[in-house]
Amino acid sequence: MQVAVDGPWTPLLGRLSLEAIPYTNPILIFTFAIAAIVGLVVVGSVLYFKKVGYIWREWLCSVDHKRIGVMYIILGLVMLFRGFIDGVMIRTQQAIAIGPNSPGYLGAAHGYLPPYHFDQIYSAHGTIMLIFAATPLLTGLGNVIVPLQVGARDMAFPYLNAVSLWLTVAGALLCMISLFVGEFSNATWVGLMPFAEMSSNPGVGVDYWMWALQVSSLGTTFNSINMIATIVKMRAPGMGWFRVPVFTWATMATAIIGLTAFPVLTAALCMLGLDRYVGTHFFTAGMGGNYMLYINLFWTWGHPEVYFLMLPAFGLISEIVSTFSSKALFGYPTMIAASLGIAGVGWVVWAHHFFTMGMGPNLIGFFSAATMIVGIPTGVKAFNWIFTMYRGRITLATPMLWAITAIVLLLLGGITGMMLSASVVDYTVHDSVFVVAHFHCMVLVIGAGIFAAVTYWWPKVFGFKLNETLGQWFFWTFVLASVLVFIPMFQAGLDGETRRLDYLFDTSLRPLMLAEVTGMGMYFVSLFCFLAMLVVSLVKREPAGQDPWGTARSLEWLTHTPVPFYNFAVTPQVHALDELAWRRANGLEKAQPERYVPIHMPSSSGLPFIIGMLSFVCTFALVWRIWWLAGASLLAVILLVIIRSFDKNEGYVLSADTIAEMERKLHTVSLIAEQSKVLPVGGQVEAH
Amino acid sequence: MRHWRQLGLLAPLALAGCSTDNIRLFHPDGVMGGLEFHYTLWITGIMLLIIVPTLLMTIIFPLRYHHTRNAKYTPDWHFSAPIEILAWVIPLGMVVVLAYMSVSAIYRIDPWTAPALASAPGAAQPPINVQVITTDWQWVFIYPDQKIATIDDLVVPAGRRINLTMTSTDVMNGFYIPQVAPMVDVMPAMISKDAFEIDHPAEFTGFSTDFSGAGFSWMQFKTRIVAQSDFDAWVKSVQANPDQLTYGVFTQKIAPAQVNYGATPSYFSVADTGIFGKVVMDAMNGKTYPVPDSLTKSVASNEGEAPASTAAK
Amino acid sequence: MASHTQAGADVVLWNASADAHDNISARTYGFWLYLLSDALIIAAVVACYAVLDNPLNAAGGPLGNQFLSASKGLVQTFLVLGSVLSYSLATVALKRGNKLGVGLGMVGAILLAVLFLGIGMGDLAALSAAGNGFARSGYLSCFFTLIVTHALHMGFGILWMLVMLVQIGVFGFTENVVARLLNLRMFWQFQASVWVVVYIYVYLFGGAH
Ligand code: HEA
Ligand code: HEA
Ligand code: CUA
Ligand SMILES: [Cu+2]
Repeated sequence: MQVAVDGPWTPLLGRLSLEAIPYTNPILIFTFAIAAIVGLVVVGSVLYFKKVGYIWREWLCSVDHKRIGVMYIILGLVMLFRGFIDGVMIRTQQAIAIGPNSPGYLGAAHGYLPPYHFDQIYSAHGTIMLIFAATPLLTGLGNVIVPLQVGARDMAFPYLNAVSLWLTVAGALLCMISLFVGEFSNATWVGLMPFAEMSSNPGVGVDYWMWALQVSSLGTTFNSINMIATIVKMRAPGMGWFRVPVFTWATMATAIIGLTAFPVLTAALCMLGLDRYVGTHFFTAGMGGNYMLYINLFWTWGHPEVYFLMLPAFGLISEIVSTFSSKALFGYPTMIAASLGIAGVGWVVWAHHFFTMGMGPNLIGFFSAATMIVGIPTGVKAFNWIFTMYRGRITLATPMLWAITAIVLLLLGGITGMMLSASVVDYTVHDSVFVVAHFHCMVLVIGAGIFAAVTYWWPKVFGFKLNETLGQWFFWTFVLASVLVFIPMFQAGLDGETRRLDYLFDTSLRPLMLAEVTGMGMYFVSLFCFLAMLVVSLVKREPAGQDPWGTARSLEWLTHTPVPFYNFAVTPQVHALDELAWRRANGLEKAQPERYVPIHMPSSSGLPFIIGMLSFVCTFALVWRIWWLAGASLLAVILLVIIRSFDKNEGYVLSADTIAEMERKLHTVSLIAEQSKVLPVGGQVEAH
Repeated sequence: MRHWRQLGLLAPLALAGCSTDNIRLFHPDGVMGGLEFHYTLWITGIMLLIIVPTLLMTIIFPLRYHHTRNAKYTPDWHFSAPIEILAWVIPLGMVVVLAYMSVSAIYRIDPWTAPALASAPGAAQPPINVQVITTDWQWVFIYPDQKIATIDDLVVPAGRRINLTMTSTDVMNGFYIPQVAPMVDVMPAMISKDAFEIDHPAEFTGFSTDFSGAGFSWMQFKTRIVAQSDFDAWVKSVQANPDQLTYGVFTQKIAPAQVNYGATPSYFSVADTGIFGKVVMDAMNGKTYPVPDSLTKSVASNEGEAPASTAAK
Repeated sequence: MASHTQAGADVVLWNASADAHDNISARTYGFWLYLLSDALIIAAVVACYAVLDNPLNAAGGPLGNQFLSASKGLVQTFLVLGSVLSYSLATVALKRGNKLGVGLGMVGAILLAVLFLGIGMGDLAALSAAGNGFARSGYLSCFFTLIVTHALHMGFGILWMLVMLVQIGVFGFTENVVARLLNLRMFWQFQASVWVVVYIYVYLFGGAH
């Protein structure tokens, strides 16, 4: 049954042995030391400040969509940092290893990373950035914003929401632990077939990649279900479909992709797993396997996946552009049509990722034209943003700067994407760093959208604004760094530099590589600004009011800042697309409910966290082929789910009096915040 | 170069400070490369017509309507049917043009049949057939008609159509000679095709574009286009080579994982012209060439031992 | 709770009765969405089957038309449909709040499903024993996967029914239990439609004898 693995295997520990720990690799030892120190500091301070109980009760067991959203975002930022360090290693390696006479360090013939290690790094970078940085960041923002924007108390299924989070964390943990136990995949983020099969990849690397993707995509599917159900079923009274805020619409479009595309990935990875574990022949080159099937399945998911990430970013940009232009979003109905259109057309373009595989001119022509069609709704988006700014009253606060940059990057990534979609052009730059530069422009649109959104919604969640000056520093240094890294990369692509090279034979690329590595240095500066921004803002804590930007338009800005755990004391009745703008125009933005009714809230539970951690154990055991442990943890998950179904706890009720009391307190807090806004800089809150 | 004038389309790029002199793909050679570049310029140029104004508006509006400027402010103006219609129709029109160009281009370039080469001068003579096999990690070129083979050295005559038939031993690679031939995947258990024609002697470097494992970065091959007479002489000399490439030699010595640092060429005479077909069948029957740990986990430390690494490129 | 706009008109700004969301309907809708995604997993496997159902991918091994029996498949189809019918009878009993009826209907559904699984798994075992296991060829890999994927769904449904039998006994027909029973009905019908698709596509179109 089981595929024979090379190397030892024991029933108790599977393939796991001391040798799996790369204690001879200086880079990994160094990384491990840093991780250990950071881990110890975190754990130590939690213990020192006696916060274990607090963190367990208030965070790990929380089913509150805002807390879950924040945890998603923290996960995303940590993984973004990890992905960034991978990026630094890629760029420094390529800056050193140019030409046969280039120096080698740490046992590498060229540069300081032997191919095997280098390949794992960019594979991890791609996987982590897309699946464990961008996805959680966007899911987190959606979690925080969407229920508030539709005026709901929480997501439709709060427990499931927590399960989704912890499944994603399980996948991220799997990626991280592969650093120190065993190895990660060297088969790129897409899993090249048949290269990722046992015959070429007998180690555990591909298994790590596969299971990490598998558990987290389960989490994403659940989250998509939750989002759709929330948006369809939980909207506040009065919010018809044409009053749904544009970000919520974007999330809806994205969740539709999530719900329909991720299952295809699940199926493809299951088949790969069967190939690797029990010796089926789905994707092998021989024995009747068909690896092109995998390539098609993968991109059937993989292409919608990039729009899965892009659409929420579009939604974020829409909200921000309209807020900071003090103007309603231009062309709201076509904006929605465009989102749904992108989600729809995104389904029939997947083959543009393998024009060079020889589908024949008919198919290539079809996929080429279909791909270009996506340019139409995307263009509509760009034009609508531009006309939102037209005759607006624009404030160039940090979120707006990010949003404008995102549009510029979209145009750059868009024109290069359209070039690639013409197969003749693709024949010259496919699998070159031109493609890499194209999609980094695009993922930086997402990145810019995220940074914009984090700055914009931060006060809503935490009650104070981020420091504007340092925010602008972060912005400008980041933009400069990106220009330095990715503009030369376009040229290197037009020079014919292949992607995924750990060694460049073409010495004429050296100046470009040096420019790019300079950009990486600049990224460090910007990272420093980011951290400084966090620290300074935390220390200063200038409290923000209900609507700290003064021109926000949608429902989430109607409630208190920071948002109480029940969101709205009484569910608002919706009268317009931009409800807050409508109330402001009618002088009602300060109106408070006069009477409270009891609220039913779900109680928190440790179960989702435990299920997530058990999934981690289960997949880890599967990676190392420790069958008993995998079986036991899977069984435990099933039993836990059954046991939970016998749990009669149906949440608790917040009485009207309690709410009245809490609202009174919150009201005082926001009054203070409002007043402190008019104080001169330095006139601080402590005074109150 | 007949494409020099079209470079004007890229003027904005040039203005942005990049000189095109050192951008390799801007200097194509031969019919296939030339056509690719031709379409690249037109497609990009047409798109710039809309991208550039959009870009300008994106940057100018925030400055023009900055709140300190007291420009005209219409807070409630949020829909205009004419503008929305234009927002859909202009890109639509552009996509129609682009898609038309892209589709007609693929019918001229299609590497399998290379229709564009049908009207090239080389069409008057029979094509040169080369079978390409990628191994982990070398290029084997078999000339079935000439009964010779080389490793990492593709030598072909100028002014003749070159037909390539390609397969791989066990993982995917990509065949690419920038400026010359379209990129095409090389796949195990399958056959793919490519073609090109260059009318004057020249040298290029080809390489693999599809990641295939630890030795991938070293998978280059020389591409030498030589005069017909030089080609004939070269073929004779290789035919006389006592090193014979047989199926046995191929599977024992060449296909197993091996990194050819510096892409040092070797040459063989060939008696068995069925090697290519056997490689395809092998792969279909499940044959693989597992890569030893010594070549994955520590490929770098091996390089010093390989005599080829010192060979000048 | 009315307030006044500047224009002086009365508007309702807060809606105190909005919290009473229909729980069962949200849950059913969520579960329906899940089934949609599950259906896409199945669709992906069926698509692979369509690609691999080809002499080239049989790699010298048999194709379905050489070993599948349409009549045996028909028997299985009736078992599945019978099982769904039995569950539907349970739902009818649920409407009348008849615990015994619900229990009997579910036991019937379980028994028929077990019979179905017995036949199906027996066939796979025989096929393997004849040297045509899932590792024989790409085609057989996909065939086994398709059948086992459906069987796993069935097994999961059986487990769910067993749990529900206990819950009906312990809790009676509470809101939670009823919501689950309704979702389970959807799941069971879904599972049956998957089988019907498999039967039509693999057995009938595939040319089983
Ligand atoms: C969020 C991510 C994201 C987004 C939004 C896009 C958007 C697009 N992508 Fe990109 N792409 C990736 C991420 C993304 N891509 C990734 C990760 C890869 C590589 C994966 C890998 O191999 O590892 C890739 C690879 C990739 C390829 C394969 C290249 C190759 O491997 O050889 C192609 C080819 O067609 C392509 C095309 C496009 C197109 C046409 C769009 C369009 O959607 C762009 C549309 C936008 C515009 C056109 C600009 C605005 C429009 C106007 C102003 C209107 C008027 C303009 C015109 C009509 C021209 N992309
Ligand atoms: C969302 C996706 C995403 C993002 C954001 C990035 C970001 C970056 N990537 Fe990424 N990259 C991919 C997705 C992404 N990449 C993919 C899919 C591949 C293909 C892999 C493959 O071939 O298989 C790839 C490949 C890839 C390569 C190509 C390797 C090759 O094929 O030769 C390179 C090379 O330079 C690179 C570099 C970078 C750089 C410099 C950044 C920079 O933009 C990074 C900037 C980020 C920062 C500066 C971090 C800031 C951090 C914070 C603000 C958080 C701080 C928080 C804490 C400290 C808690 N990437
Ligand atoms: Cu890809 Cu054949
Ligand atoms: Cu794509």
